Amino acid sequence: MKVSSIPNERGNVLLCAICTIFVISLIAANVLLNCTARYNQASNQVRSWNEALYAAESGADMAFAEIRKTLPGASPSPSPWTGWAPSGTTYVSPVTGTASLPWTFGSDNLQARTVVETCYFDSSGVFHLGANPTGAWPWYRIRSKGTSPLQGLKRTGMDDRLSNGNRFVANGSTRGDGDTLLRKIDFNFDHFIATYGPNGDGTGKALQAVNAPQIARRIELIVGAVTPFGAAVRVTTSFDGPGSAGLIDSFNSNNGAYYFAANNPSDPHYADSHSGSVAVNSPTFFMHQGPIWGDVSTNGGNVLPSNLIHGVIDNNVPLTIPPLVMPSLPTPQPSPVAFNSNTTITPASPGSVSAPTTYLVSSWSKSVTFNQSGSAQTYVAVHVTSDFTGQVTVNTGVHVQVFFDGNMSVKARDLVNNTGLAANMQFYGISPTDPNTTQTIAIASPGNFVGTFYAPSAAISFTGNPDITGSIVGKTYSGNGNTTLHYDRALDNAGEPSDYRIASYVEDIR
Amino acid sequence: MKLTHHSRQSGFTLAEIMMAMAIAVVIFAAIITASIAMQKSFNAVDHFFATHIQQVRIIDYLNRDVKRALICTVSANQQTVTLTIPKYIIQSGDAEAVSNPSLVGAMRSPTLSTTTSLVNYGTTTSTVVYSINGASILRTEDGAVTTIASSTDQLVPSTTDTDLTNTEYSTMAVTFRPIFTSGNVADERTGTTVFSLAYLRNKRRG
Repeated sequence: MKVSSIPNERGNVLLCAICTIFVISLIAANVLLNCTARYNQASNQVRSWNEALYAAESGADMAFAEIRKTLPGASPSPSPWTGWAPSGTTYVSPVTGTASLPWTFGSDNLQARTVVETCYFDSSGVFHLGANPTGAWPWYRIRSKGTSPLQGLKRTGMDDRLSNGNRFVANGSTRGDGDTLLRKIDFNFDHFIATYGPNGDGTGKALQAVNAPQIARRIELIVGAVTPFGAAVRVTTSFDGPGSAGLIDSFNSNNGAYYFAANNPSDPHYADSHSGSVAVNSPTFFMHQGPIWGDVSTNGGNVLPSNLIHGVIDNNVPLTIPPLVMPSLPTPQPSPVAFNSNTTITPASPGSVSAPTTYLVSSWSKSVTFNQSGSAQTYVAVHVTSDFTGQVTVNTGVHVQVFFDGNMSVKARDLVNNTGLAANMQFYGISPTDPNTTQTIAIASPGNFVGTFYAPSAAISFTGNPDITGSIVGKTYSGNGNTTLHYDRALDNAGEPSDYRIASYVEDIR
Repeated sequence: MKLTHHSRQSGFTLAEIMMAMAIAVVIFAAIITASIAMQKSFNAVDHFFATHIQQVRIIDYLNRDVKRALICTVSANQQTVTLTIPKYIIQSGDAEAVSNPSLVGAMRSPTLSTTTSLVNYGTTTSTVVYSINGASILRTEDGAVTTIASSTDQLVPSTTDTDLTNTEYSTMAVTFRPIFTSGNVADERTGTTVFSLAYLRNKRRG
């Protein structure tokens, strides 16, 4: 057979091959496009949802930094709330540009809007906005909203693996399921304002369009003051105690007088009895045979579980107690200027927590009794510029703070607190100018002591068998005899704040 | 009648047609095979991605709730997580809502306990439980069940909680075993693990 050559029909095989490759490539490209488009969109939503919280928490952090600037003795620059918009006791974060051109932060144009409201809790624990009329240290409520733009197309993610398939429900009673239920994306309208109003309280509900798809998250923080007396013992260098006949436990004077309840779970005060915590910012922790009804923390120590420690043990907890400098106090009374003879003081005015009646004395070697001013709660502060070797009696209704520059050596019976409340007799050891100098505070038998010591540079020792009610903060603690120490949980709110803490964190997940 | 002969219009020979058909069959077979393979591959990849997104969703749900939790406890097998969460929003059936139904959905003001000195929202708390039910991962808040993930790929979340003196955190890991693989070996599961860690912002002691 002769095969004729037809030059004009060459190339069919090549054409077919190219077409085949093209078709297969189209299929492959389509597969790839489908997979990556859905995956990328879902990934974008995950990222934006998480970044919205970063933005909200960043706004809260900035607010927290401003609040810390208001601490006593702080002299920050710029001053607190610079750039914020104050309105009474409320502060709104700096205006973030305009609606059409908002100022943003981060590589993904995150936004935050934060409102800080001064507030307080009354004696019943009820929340109020505004400054505390008693002059006590304020609380703050921080509400922060973080917004993250959503990249990509306006489409749902990869929710189709769940059963009912209701991505969006028209009646507004639910947000469907899967990612839609969790992340609550605002594609066209701000769902929060439409459903709950701009402040989330149900007022001012409106259909408000968003410039671009976004995800917003809202958090609320309650910030309270950190007071010096948050544990039974907090020391920087070493702890030694309690002895075989001693113990450390706790109670709450708001719930009644102390009695031992730590080993009786059915006792109504049992929950208050296990906060006799000890914190040491060093590995040096010596424990004898007395129990500790609370947590123990050291910084690099080797405290092991035992039947004497009835709380959590953590050997990796840094603790910072800065040196104490003399705080600013109101102008002192003209007299007396020394307590060299037995004295009774009844202030002319009751003063307040933040503005006590103040005395500046060069020595304190005799007995001083403080009485109430009329029937009002009376606040007194004394600055002793030398050693404290005298006696003090604090009568009912009086709150006394004693600041001393030197050392202290007394018997427990010399420190009489007739109020029965440790918060009403507070001793503050001012740190020596030379950081290598150690103050000494020595309390000996006989007698008992109801009060607090805050002396970051002091070696504090209790000898004999004094019964102590209160809280101890110092450089070292020694109470290895028969010393018993009962931490009063009411001290959580006593003393001058050294910092602020976030007491509560909630997220509005609606 | 005389038939006109067109020498340049001759047809294909049988051999040529057979050859062409054979080539066409091979080409179509290749296209169909490729299409099926692509379809299977698409399903597998799409399924893998979808399950991966569900992994992330489980992590995100847990993260969100752990961060705002007061208490976190984990079962011994690390697959049931129980969280105690502040009741920030007034819900139907709450004391305030019974006396004033219009308060449902409103935010609560905090209170300060005079006995514990802790900030609370309301007198009760919400309990959220994460658990596994067959192929589904469930989130149950005060009895209301939500399926947050469901896959035939055997999604398994695992959580541990570490409670220290001054902090508490939960670590989470979610794995699955892709169904399109046939080896059924442990490596297939470990190769899909996603980890996360979240601190309890409300760390506190009673």
